[in-house]
Amino acid sequence: MNIQILYFGQIADRIGLSAENFDWTSGLLVSTLREQILAKYPILKDQIFKIAVNQKIMQEDMPIPFPAEIACLPPFAGG
Amino acid sequence: MNKVHKPKKVLMQGPIDPQMVATSLVNHQSKTNIGAHALFLGQIRADQKDNGVVTGIEYSAYEAMAEEAFHRIREEAFTRYDLTCMHLYHSLGVVPVGQISLFVFVSSAHRRASLEAVDFLVERIKQDVPIFGKELIGATGDYIWKENN
Repeated sequence: MNIQILYFGQIADRIGLSAENFDWTSGLLVSTLREQILAKYPILKDQIFKIAVNQKIMQEDMPIPFPAEIACLPPFAGG
Repeated sequence: MNKVHKPKKVLMQGPIDPQMVATSLVNHQSKTNIGAHALFLGQIRADQKDNGVVTGIEYSAYEAMAEEAFHRIREEAFTRYDLTCMHLYHSLGVVPVGQISLFVFVSSAHRRASLEAVDFLVERIKQDVPIFGKELIGATGDYIWKENN
């Protein structure tokens, strides 16, 4: 099953993509998803980012539900 | 104040027109329980960077989450401070230097509540709202991603 991942700001800029689908399996943790993203995009190795699940920033040890909208959020710059 | 406030759209395309500030003031002249307005206006600075001078910031956002975050921050400010009303606007897209990208407008019966609320709101907006900014440098198409600290 697929979940959609949205990329914003400098993350989208660095990987040249603003959204894609990732494979979801039951029990998928935020930290595991982060590892998968970093493995796919080594250019993000030094990139600081938070992961939001259904518009809420999640702890790394939390499981990702299905369905879910995931977002990779680089440091904020509002104001 | 336990009243629930209707979510209002905060994000708007392009710079904030200074006329909006005057219009906002005029719109509150009939609310005679107000004794104080406190305003914050964020203006784009022409910072000197290694490769040139900043000419503007191009803002983007995770819009749905950003609007929700603005709504939460707004509700929290209403809970913490004794406010009469509150208006928030933040730009998306390119805002050239010297122009306004953030407008926070808070009104209360007495000054202390609105002054403190403005400070609280600006800090929380910078910290909690998923807005991203590209500082545009010179005329060459260079840019640097801005990060709040």
